[in-house]
Amino acid sequence: MIEVRDVTKRFGTTVALDGVSFRLDKGEILGFLGPNGAGKSTAMKIVTTFLAPDGGTVSVDGIDVLRNPLEVRSRIGYLPENHPLYVDMMVHEYLQFVGRARGLAGDELRRRLEWVVEACGLGSVFRKPINELSKGFRQRTGLAQALIHDPEVLILDEPTSGLDPLQIIGIRELIQGLARSKTIIFSTHILQEVSPVTDRVVIINGGRIVADGRIGELERAAMGRNRIFVAYRAPAAAAEAALRDLGGLHEVRPVAGRDGAARFEVRADFGQDVLAPLGRLGQSHGWDLLELQESPFSLEDTFIALTRQGAVPREVSHV
Amino acid sequence: MSNAGVIFRREFAAYFNSPIAYIFIIVFLVLNCGLFMTPFFLAQLADMRDFFGNLPLFLIFFIPAVTMRLWAEDKRSGTFELLMTLPMKSSEVMLGKYFAAMAFYVVALLGTLPIPIMLAMLGKPDLGAVFGGYLGALLLGGLYMAVGIFTSGLLRDQISAFILGMLACFALFLVGVPAVSATIDGWVGGFGSFLQNAFGLMPHYQALQRGVLELGDLAYFLGLTAVFLVLNAVWLEGRKY
Repeated sequence: MIEVRDVTKRFGTTVALDGVSFRLDKGEILGFLGPNGAGKSTAMKIVTTFLAPDGGTVSVDGIDVLRNPLEVRSRIGYLPENHPLYVDMMVHEYLQFVGRARGLAGDELRRRLEWVVEACGLGSVFRKPINELSKGFRQRTGLAQALIHDPEVLILDEPTSGLDPLQIIGIRELIQGLARSKTIIFSTHILQEVSPVTDRVVIINGGRIVADGRIGELERAAMGRNRIFVAYRAPAAAAEAALRDLGGLHEVRPVAGRDGAARFEVRADFGQDVLAPLGRLGQSHGWDLLELQESPFSLEDTFIALTRQGAVPREVSHV
Repeated sequence: MSNAGVIFRREFAAYFNSPIAYIFIIVFLVLNCGLFMTPFFLAQLADMRDFFGNLPLFLIFFIPAVTMRLWAEDKRSGTFELLMTLPMKSSEVMLGKYFAAMAFYVVALLGTLPIPIMLAMLGKPDLGAVFGGYLGALLLGGLYMAVGIFTSGLLRDQISAFILGMLACFALFLVGVPAVSATIDGWVGGFGSFLQNAFGLMPHYQALQRGVLELGDLAYFLGLTAVFLVLNAVWLEGRKY
């Protein structure tokens, strides 16, 4: 369990974190999102005890990061943003070093080594110097380092940055595989990576948390209304007029569609059934219904709405 | 293995993972032995006074070159964050690094052993002075090393760390030189002598070189070494805030 309460951190005159709070229960995975420079890495460095907060408290499994940093560190596996690798070492030397530094020895060390090499797919490079590895293998070696002591808590700062799509899927599957037994925070600015792994996200912008919750809730809260696409085989002007007369729709906007189709994007309140009326509207005018679908806002739309300067809807902030 | 031991092992191996270690040792031996052997053949004396006499100046260049990477490299490569989030005290990491650098220096120093062996075969050197000289070389190296690891921590760039370390060691050396302390005395009465007594290393080093073992000289080297190591540890903790 990780609890961050009202944490502030300044670097000189720059405020990196400004009253950040969030909570993560055991076994949860948290996607930590935000534009570059939002404070993601700073927050993770504070949780891992690399930096101390200027104000507020952080605890991991109930242990305060300032009072007992060594105990906190022993429970955490941490992958910093820059590969924390000794490039002059071989992969196996490096992992042995980190394992020993984390108190493993003998059979236990050997067992854990075998496990991380298997889990991170490092078999083919196990006896290669790290400076000869590709970026993907370097990232996986970094991940193996974070896992070697079988930590309860994993803090991964941009674990997929700079990887190709196949490697990203590999890392994602690895995180999913670990999910059952561990508490994980991973940061990213690539939003598509979040939803396959978790639906719990925290979005941070300018050192403040702007959203904290399930992806679906956030999308609704951030955008306010549902979005529906509808298309009829009909004259565009007539269809638009009919839609405006229908009632219950907040916005009707013509959008590009196939030839001969009058296609619109309409907005309605959540929970209001507009699909049936839209279907009947076509029937009553004798127009063929070509398309009718609810199209919820993507995490991207939400993210942009929440992190655009000055466009932060206040009611979205749950903290 | 103890925490510092794990770090020591990795850092010591790191010196020998690159050709730089071998170049260092060869340069150390060639220059030191070369500087010693030339007057040796002229003077024809079976002692190592010239050898140990050269060290305080020579090590000003050699030791910071050994220590410059200790923190600066980790800070640049990102491994600093790894080290500072290991479940061990930052002072343990520091001691592991410090003693690894010391061990490297000891290896270089061991390479000079043929000189006393040769002297013992050719004549009757004062073994007390030779022993005192090696002890002085160790203590002097240990002090420069502590200065070097401290300055390496302050900077992110190895070359800057090298230059800063060199300047700091040079300052310790200079304030102990009588001509320098006399000059400072001329500016501010008594201040040069105070600096010489408090920080100057030459009087203490020369005593050891003569084979005189006194508690005060040992305390000077070990004490000042400890001061710089503590400063380094304080910096490591303070950096978080």
